[in-house]
Amino acid sequence: MIAVAAPARSREPVVITGVGAVSPLGNSLVEIADNLLASRCGIRDIDPGPLGREPRQFAAPVGDLPDPPAGTCRLGPDEVIRLDRLERMCLVPAAAALADSGLGTPAVGGRLGLVVGLGAEHLKAWELDFAAGGRRVLEPRRDRALAHRVAAALGIGGPVLTAAAACASSGYALALAKTWIESGWVDACVAGGCDVLSPTAIAAFYNLRALSRRGDDPSRASRPFDRDRDGFVMGEGGAFFVLERGRDAAARGARMHGELAGVGMSSDGVHMVIPSTDPASAASAITAALADAEVSPGEVDYINAHAAGTPVGDVAEAGAIRLALGAAADTVAVSSTKGASGHLVSGAAAFEAVACLAAIQRQAVPPTLNLDHPDPQCPLDHVARVARPRAVRVTASNSFGFGGSNLCLVIRQAA
Amino acid sequence: MHTRPDPVGSVAPAACGITGHALVSARLSEIAALRDRAGPPGAPSLPPRFLRHCDEHTVVGMHAILAALAARSGEPAGLSRHAVVAASRRIGRLAAAKTLTGLAAGGGVSVSPHIVPQCSLHSVAGAVSVGLGMRGPHLGVGGGDDALAEGLFAAITIVHAAAAAGDPPCVWLVATEWDDEPELDDAAAPTSDPVCRALALAIEAAAPDSAGQGSSRAAVNRGRAAPPPRAASSTGPALSLSLRFPEIRLPRIAGLDADGGLAEFARALDMCLEGTALVSWTIECPWGAEIRVARPSGLAARAAPAARLLEAA
Repeated sequence: MIAVAAPARSREPVVITGVGAVSPLGNSLVEIADNLLASRCGIRDIDPGPLGREPRQFAAPVGDLPDPPAGTCRLGPDEVIRLDRLERMCLVPAAAALADSGLGTPAVGGRLGLVVGLGAEHLKAWELDFAAGGRRVLEPRRDRALAHRVAAALGIGGPVLTAAAACASSGYALALAKTWIESGWVDACVAGGCDVLSPTAIAAFYNLRALSRRGDDPSRASRPFDRDRDGFVMGEGGAFFVLERGRDAAARGARMHGELAGVGMSSDGVHMVIPSTDPASAASAITAALADAEVSPGEVDYINAHAAGTPVGDVAEAGAIRLALGAAADTVAVSSTKGASGHLVSGAAAFEAVACLAAIQRQAVPPTLNLDHPDPQCPLDHVARVARPRAVRVTASNSFGFGGSNLCLVIRQAA
Repeated sequence: MHTRPDPVGSVAPAACGITGHALVSARLSEIAALRDRAGPPGAPSLPPRFLRHCDEHTVVGMHAILAALAARSGEPAGLSRHAVVAASRRIGRLAAAKTLTGLAAGGGVSVSPHIVPQCSLHSVAGAVSVGLGMRGPHLGVGGGDDALAEGLFAAITIVHAAAAAGDPPCVWLVATEWDDEPELDDAAAPTSDPVCRALALAIEAAAPDSAGQGSSRAAVNRGRAAPPPRAASSTGPALSLSLRFPEIRLPRIAGLDADGGLAEFARALDMCLEGTALVSWTIECPWGAEIRVARPSGLAARAAPAARLLEAA
């Protein structure tokens, strides 16, 4: 088995100097931190839209989308409004991250990269067009991927890539960006990912019996690690980050939100949908990420678990955490923020990286909502229902996806 | 203000080798029959009926990687350490069209639970990982017209990171596309019979003597039990694969259509391998970098693998 991590060596830290987000719990790091730590939930009834035929649906939607910050986007307001929802959901937080970083594109355009984690760009684009009466799915045309269009809109002139690893997509985007920076291929990189609610995806996951059917009380439907969990709740949104070398950030006096200290990636190689019951592969991604960050299990203060609230997946992840951390698993605080945010699918890993930054900045661990009766098959140090104040310097965030994709990010306090 | 680790013009190029490749093609009308067909002799076998719910890109992509594996003399027992990058242009459109017309007519109950896991950008890579037991990272990239360049760049990225970490895997790049996008009627039924192409490339870190740069696999391997299998009769990568950033412009190679798709790229690989008419071939990334394929100097030319047109039995 192999788990790939970036090389462990004496190297410049890769730091996070910009954060932008759109999510059911707010559109900035501050808003998201406030809502997560206050145990607020973004899940509610939604309008199923013209393609949704079910009488009642619930999910975690994003409210009104903000505009890109002034001066960050080469598109005019009228052009931004005409973009489809997925493209706006990527453009807005990517632009916000650039603005937050203070980097600006003119100085670094050709040395600034972009990696967008997107699992089903074309399916979503075809669906949005079809729902509006379009025929793009029936009459295709040559097109450039969304990532290239966003890069052009933001004046990003370096490498551009779309990364798809199902629910780990935006985490893979961060992992690739980290390698580019460490390799000297770019000076800075915008990376992250987003997703949108879609009737097709909701119906597909419902028919797969992966979604919670607890429609009587949507805010209590997402119950990671709880013994009464019955599936996940779909959400939308995500986040983008500006990554750069620590010395560059320090030289220009940039604020450092945190350090992307380690990444680990592996695959189960077992099933296209169901996670492996053998925790070894997922654990190897966690172990590789810790090794990449040169962090021991006992140094981890908080794990943001992937735990979506599925009966099989949460147990498998608890086993992987215990295998990777050993005895330290008894004392590392663990929570899944999907109880509050729902599952943001392609955007989940990036959103949960924001939750890790929130834990570091507020020195408190966000809780797992609705964790009333922890499943005895998931024996971890759960932070249930309410936030737990504690020293948080090192965090790890897991993301797992269809096809057995495993990813772990280690994010720590910037030096 | 930003520092550069190397002087402008020599920004840490990454060097890799292509240690095997195969191109296969199949008409849309033939793909259903290929779902249950085994790979060529010497290829690993897949779990029973493994491809039955897969997208057409996955079916043809899987046959490409099986063909490339069959051509390698190494025993594929080491596949568990391999990684997969899939670069597909507009994967899932046939399934999406059928799903959306069905959703509009019959509601959510008509939506197949397979459409997300099997017909999304990650699906080809996921199927290869699961079907062949590859447990290195797997991901899909691209999706649009620049998929091949994105796929090569992503594969180079993973090889580079892993090699520098002392644990270099073989990364399989599987690029897929239709020669012409299928035409569909209002009920999402195909009215044309285009060819789906898939090119599988085995990409590994290049030894310094074969590409002139990059990390040596032998030097950085931690001595794990199962190193990646090598290409047939190989003393090194058959072709070098290097990444050059915009500051290092290479002369363009004339004679082939740079936008000719996978068939043209595969033809260029074969010509470089055989040493007949080309010594190198360059793909220009949309953002200005160039990815160059060349036969390492001093390495004898060798026969190129035959492209395979798969037809129903």
